[in-house]
Amino acid sequence: MSDKVKDKVKELLSSGKIKGFLGLCSRDGNIAPHLFVTEDELDNLVVGDKSAPGDSRYPLNRQLINLVRAYPDDTFGILVRGCDERGLAALASWNQINPNKIEMVGIACPQELAIACECLKPYPESFVDGEKCEGVTAETVARIDSLKVKERFDLWLNEFSKCIKCYGCRNICPMCFCNECSLENDELIRKGEIPPEIPTFHLTRAVHMAGRCIDCGLCSEACPADIPLRTLYKKVADIIYKQYNFRAGYDAGQKSPLNFLGGLPE
Amino acid sequence: MDYRTVLTTCTHCGCGCNFYLEVLDGKVIGTIPCKTSPTNEGKLCIKGWNVHEFIQSEKRLTQPLLRKDGELKEVSWDEALDFTAKRLREIKDTHGADSIGFLTSARVTNEENYLLQKFCRAAIGTNNVDHCARL
Amino acid sequence: MTNSIAELENADCILVIGSNTTSSHPLIAMRIFRAKQKGARLIVADPRRIQLALMADLHVRHNLGTDVALINAMMHVIIKEGWHNQAFIDERTEGFEDLKKILDAYTPEKAAEITGVAADDIIRMAEYYAKAKAGSIVYCMGITQHTTGVDNVRTLANLSMITGHIGRESTGVNPLRGQNNVQGACDMGGLPNVYPAYQAVTDPDNKKKFESAWNAALSDKVGLTVSEMMSGLSHGPLKALYILGENPMVSDPDTAHVEKALKSAELLVVQDIFLTETARLAHVVLPGATFAEKDGTFSNTERRVMRVRKAIDPVGNAKADWEIIKEISNRFGYPMEYGTPEEIMKEISSVTPSYGGITYQRLDGEGLLWPCPTTDHPGTKFLHKDKFVRGKGLFYAVEFKPPAEVVDEEFPFWFTTGRVFAHYHTGTMTRNCPTLDSEIHEGFLEVNPGDAEGLGLRHGDAVNISSRRGLMTAKTMVTDRVTKGVVFMPFHFAESSANVLTNTVLDPVCKIPELKVCAVRLEKVA
Repeated sequence: MSDKVKDKVKELLSSGKIKGFLGLCSRDGNIAPHLFVTEDELDNLVVGDKSAPGDSRYPLNRQLINLVRAYPDDTFGILVRGCDERGLAALASWNQINPNKIEMVGIACPQELAIACECLKPYPESFVDGEKCEGVTAETVARIDSLKVKERFDLWLNEFSKCIKCYGCRNICPMCFCNECSLENDELIRKGEIPPEIPTFHLTRAVHMAGRCIDCGLCSEACPADIPLRTLYKKVADIIYKQYNFRAGYDAGQKSPLNFLGGLPE
Repeated sequence: MDYRTVLTTCTHCGCGCNFYLEVLDGKVIGTIPCKTSPTNEGKLCIKGWNVHEFIQSEKRLTQPLLRKDGELKEVSWDEALDFTAKRLREIKDTHGADSIGFLTSARVTNEENYLLQKFCRAAIGTNNVDHCARL
Repeated sequence: MTNSIAELENADCILVIGSNTTSSHPLIAMRIFRAKQKGARLIVADPRRIQLALMADLHVRHNLGTDVALINAMMHVIIKEGWHNQAFIDERTEGFEDLKKILDAYTPEKAAEITGVAADDIIRMAEYYAKAKAGSIVYCMGITQHTTGVDNVRTLANLSMITGHIGRESTGVNPLRGQNNVQGACDMGGLPNVYPAYQAVTDPDNKKKFESAWNAALSDKVGLTVSEMMSGLSHGPLKALYILGENPMVSDPDTAHVEKALKSAELLVVQDIFLTETARLAHVVLPGATFAEKDGTFSNTERRVMRVRKAIDPVGNAKADWEIIKEISNRFGYPMEYGTPEEIMKEISSVTPSYGGITYQRLDGEGLLWPCPTTDHPGTKFLHKDKFVRGKGLFYAVEFKPPAEVVDEEFPFWFTTGRVFAHYHTGTMTRNCPTLDSEIHEGFLEVNPGDAEGLGLRHGDAVNISSRRGLMTAKTMVTDRVTKGVVFMPFHFAESSANVLTNTVLDPVCKIPELKVCAVRLEKVA
């Protein structure tokens, strides 16, 4: 599905509207996150499907933050799926990026990927390629919710006991932009041990994801212990939705009820 | 502006995970695990995630050092290389090739390991080459 | 490794022995987690309650240095119960009768006395492993760094062969290599007895071949190992040592002995990226480049050759290590004319049969697992498929021998060493990563709560640790990760270096030092 994306990026680059386009490219026999700065590089542009749709997604939003921090006056283009668009909206609400300096080139995810992600909105507001498919509700959450308390507790304890404390869930997360991270606070979570304190480490992170997680699933994909982190954060997001009728990134401009740093919600 | 992602292999253990080093204007600013790697499938451990941090450490050696009057002093490459080659030659001529030993490294590339053992065997003329495989 | 890493996922029984996999090889631990998820049985044999033990079906904590007794007893049970694979033994191996004879004496009850593992647990270990369809063994330095290192490895090979658990997908014996390119350093002939691809220097045909390839007269005399070089420096015959990217002042046993050796060198050349404890003793220090500053290849523990790509120029006036070696060789009078590492790889594949089909172009994508003899060969996922390298697999009848140093009244605690999850080897690289150094920034001694109480030690107290080699101080970590009578210390930290204490005594065959067992005394710092 990359031809229409290529055409769009070509137009943005040739018009001088953007300094570069953050997307994916086929390089060295792998799929790489890549900043396209010239039109002739676009031949290798891909959307991140290696063996299955969207199986090679990268934390492009995170990379974008690095770029705009170094070059705040420039405009960049970026490849977005539904989740990435939510991420950019949420980042803007937390004053981490200037949405006027970003040109999104959207693609809609196929149903297969939407099912795998249990994504409520598997498409961005506007997209150049793909077709809008049905949103999917989270059966994984419902399945765990249906367990008895003890079973549920044991399930998570077993999952957390595999954690090797790589901090990959945080490192890959486009919404983790804090300068100081509670996970590294020695008084909260003792350093130097694996598994990290159970369940403090993971629940601390889950609490910090409340009102923030945009459900991209990169954390689960980055977890070397295959801990179903995405399911955990989906649950946290459901709780926030029930309490405050808020889901992060779905409504551009709307602030999280827990967003105190950026001012009180309206 | 020069922003690149360079695919390479981790140096922090024998798993051999692949990641992209994120380079902005000549500075390595991050590590991004490679999704299509057969060894790590887009995942890393704490050592891999932070491998970029030592590369441009202020404590890196940036100039050859030569011991003069008991102390290591910064010198030019020419001086350091000439000194090394000359002393190796003198010691070989005086005490024989087997008086010289080499420790090659489990941390440098295959090409560099090959070259050092070749230098040891073909130039010096001894098989005194080993590394920390056992340690 | 006999198998590729990903294959571990599909093993239905994994025996992990002497490997703290989640700390030292985390991305291999991932495959063990997945195997477990798919229903595999996990057996962990480790004196410490390592992370994998938390999810093991069976964790046995055998006494330090009693691996042979434990594994021999497993085999005793397997044969007694008829769980062995007679067809495999008949077809693919020799020497079984000799092994069988000595195994008679290793009843689970006798082994229980030696190892401290309950006889019933030994029987369960035997049953789980022997009855598996795809049994895999994973081991690391906890098996090899012993005076009986070779014995231990041979015993594990025996176990895999009597059950036929080798030479198939997801089924084999998998030593995990500790250093990122230790496999490559060995493959490339960084060993005193072999040229690249393990071609013996004593074989006249090999000598002739390399003399012609390298245009030089070569020695057919086996060279010195690291440990022999150290004593060679102390006692005279060795005059000069050239060290590339190694830090024996931290990694080698008995630091005082290493320091004396290095100081007695007429010439000590150290090529490294930091001014390490070893570099400080050098006559000349050559600043090399990190993996991010040069092109090349690494070979990982599963024999996969993968590209290293240059991301930035070397810092300051540092140089890529291959360029430094080339320059010295040229000045020494043995010309080397390589323009790029790729040119060196071309020469490597021409003299290294197992790398014969490897080119940079072919390494794009997933890399290649050697043996890969020709450019149309796809590489080799698992070894010993239809036959072993020597033809028939040979059983060695190995008897249990205790460690070289055992506890006594003067030194009553068993001392062992290892890695922690945030650091790698001597810490030259990881301790210069601020995030990693802040995760764990100093050495410590793990002491069992019962022992701590007896010694009046509390968490965080300074404790003096002494062995027959030296004395050092570290902070106490009170934890039941170690059993009573055993203490553990990581070896990454130069300022509290575990190797001040460890024993230099070597395995008689492979010359590996017994870093995993010695005897120490503990005293609370007043």
